[in-house]
Order: sequence, then C-alpha cells, then structure tokens
Amino acid sequence: MAMPFQQMFDIGSGTELIYSFVIMLCSLMVFFGTKQIYELSSHKGIKYFRLAFLFFAIAYFARYFIKFFLMAFGIGSLRELSYLFFDPTGKLTTFVFMYLSSISVFYLLYSVMWKKWGNNKKIYLVHIAAILISLISIMSSDGYYLLFVNLFLFIIVSLTFYFARKNSKKKKHTFYAVYMLLVFFWILNILDILIPSFFQGFQIIVYLFSISIFLTILYRVIKKAGD
Amino acid sequence: MVKRAKLEIIKDILKIIQENRNSIKLTPLLRKSKLSSAGFKEYYTELIQRNLVKEIGSGRERKVSLTERGMKFLEKYRTIIDFIDEFEL
Repeated sequence: MAMPFQQMFDIGSGTELIYSFVIMLCSLMVFFGTKQIYELSSHKGIKYFRLAFLFFAIAYFARYFIKFFLMAFGIGSLRELSYLFFDPTGKLTTFVFMYLSSISVFYLLYSVMWKKWGNNKKIYLVHIAAILISLISIMSSDGYYLLFVNLFLFIIVSLTFYFARKNSKKKKHTFYAVYMLLVFFWILNILDILIPSFFQGFQIIVYLFSISIFLTILYRVIKKAGD
Repeated sequence: MVKRAKLEIIKDILKIIQENRNSIKLTPLLRKSKLSSAGFKEYYTELIQRNLVKEIGSGRERKVSLTERGMKFLEKYRTIIDFIDEFEL
C-alpha cells in the first residue's frame, strides 16, 4: 500500500536524503581531495581510486533518485516504477543502475590490482565486466536471481581482494578489510533497490554501517592527502 | 612495485636538479641520475611532458631547472608515497 505523501517526507524520504547526501559528499570529497596528488604523480592506482569514488557518488545519486520515486509513488518494485521512465519492462533502468554500481566496485578493485594485471589498456575489460553483470541482472527480475548475481559479484571481488592481500609483501594491511566492507554494504544497497522488501526494518543498520565506512575512508584520505 | 620505483626515480632526478641550485646541464644530470642513456631519455621526456622540469638556454648552454610543479612534486612526494601505501594502490 502506498505511504501517504506527508508521512513519506516526514520519515523515509528525509532519512534517505540525508543518507545519500552524506555518502555522495564523502565520495566527492575523496575524489576532489586526491586531485592534487594525482595531478602531480599521474599514478594509475590513484586515478582508478578517484574514479571509483566518482562513480560511487553517481551510483548513490542514481540510487537515491530511484528510491525517491519508489517511495513517492508507493511502488514496490523497480519494474513498476520503470513506466515512469518510459521503460515499461524495467530492463533499461536496472541495466543503467547495475552498470553504475558495478563499475564503481570494479574501479576500486582495479585501483588495487592494476600493477598485477599489467597494462592499463586492459581497463576496457572493467567496462566489459560491468556491462556483463548489468546484462545478467536484466535477464530475470526474480528476487532470488538478483540476489544470486550480487552474491556472485561480491564473492569474485572478495576473493580478488583476499588473494591480493595474501600475495602482498607488505606486513600491515589496513585497507583490504575496509574495501571488502565497502563492497559488501554497497551490494546490500543494490539489493535494497532491486528487491525492496529485502531489508524491511533493517535499512537503518545498513545505512549506518555504510556511512561509517565512507566516513572512515574520507578521514584517512584527508589525513594522508591533506587537501 | 614498478610504479613506486618510477616515482622514486622521478623524485631522485628532481632532487639532483634542486640540489644544484635549480640549474644543471644534461650530461651531469644523466651521470648523477645513475640511469642508462635510454632510461634517462625516457624519464627526461616524461618530466618535460608533465611540466615538472623546463629547459633554459640552448645548444651547449642548455640547462634544466625545476618548474613550480616540479617543486610541488618534491614537497608532496612523501604524502603521495604514504597515500599509495595506505590505500594499497
């Protein structure tokens, strides 16, 4: 049943707005805060790291945009909402959202792995992987299917981070765990959009954890890059 | 650690120029950089392209000096390396 418009703005929409705004702000601050060190060093890892956060900002904006319409019209699924976007089957909306989501995760992964994966011309593979994930996501709108696709994405990303950590010569690894948590909670955010009933009652916990992770990263970026 | 080595070499070249009162001829710079001629040429071209160094004079009197960007690079070198280390990039 549709939530009354007034109530929607009093409770859900306000929280959503603050949540999305904080995450977008953190992501953009990471992007712009690392501009100088990237321009000076031209380091590819920093480049992909910045792009990951730029795409996180865009993806969270898209997420808020979709969430706002879902709440405003009391719609239960992205497929129903898609009529508003002149996309009756919902496939295009899902495709764009999934592309933005997976490209941010893949850029983050690439920022850590680019040295091991070699030539930067392979960056097109990151886009191909994101397109593939998006295509697979639109093959079925079944909740379990979408859950499986995102679980698969998380496992692949986690295993890559895990092996990168294991093969690294460094003794102290502080950020692989943070990256894994970031990806994990982002995937929960994706599921929250694709399967709206998935987190009923638990959204606030997911939101608080997501904000904490982004704030931790922002804090470390400001401390290290100092811009 | 390919990139780390590269950033370190760039820092070393810039440091040599700075320690020579920001003006040095190419031959002593090549010698002090401890790079092969081919390697030095590659780095030198990149430094010019990235506007970290500039050439002053011409012919035999041609010298190399740091640009403002080059000085900024030296100033921020430690920050850049710490950042790369911290975020495993």
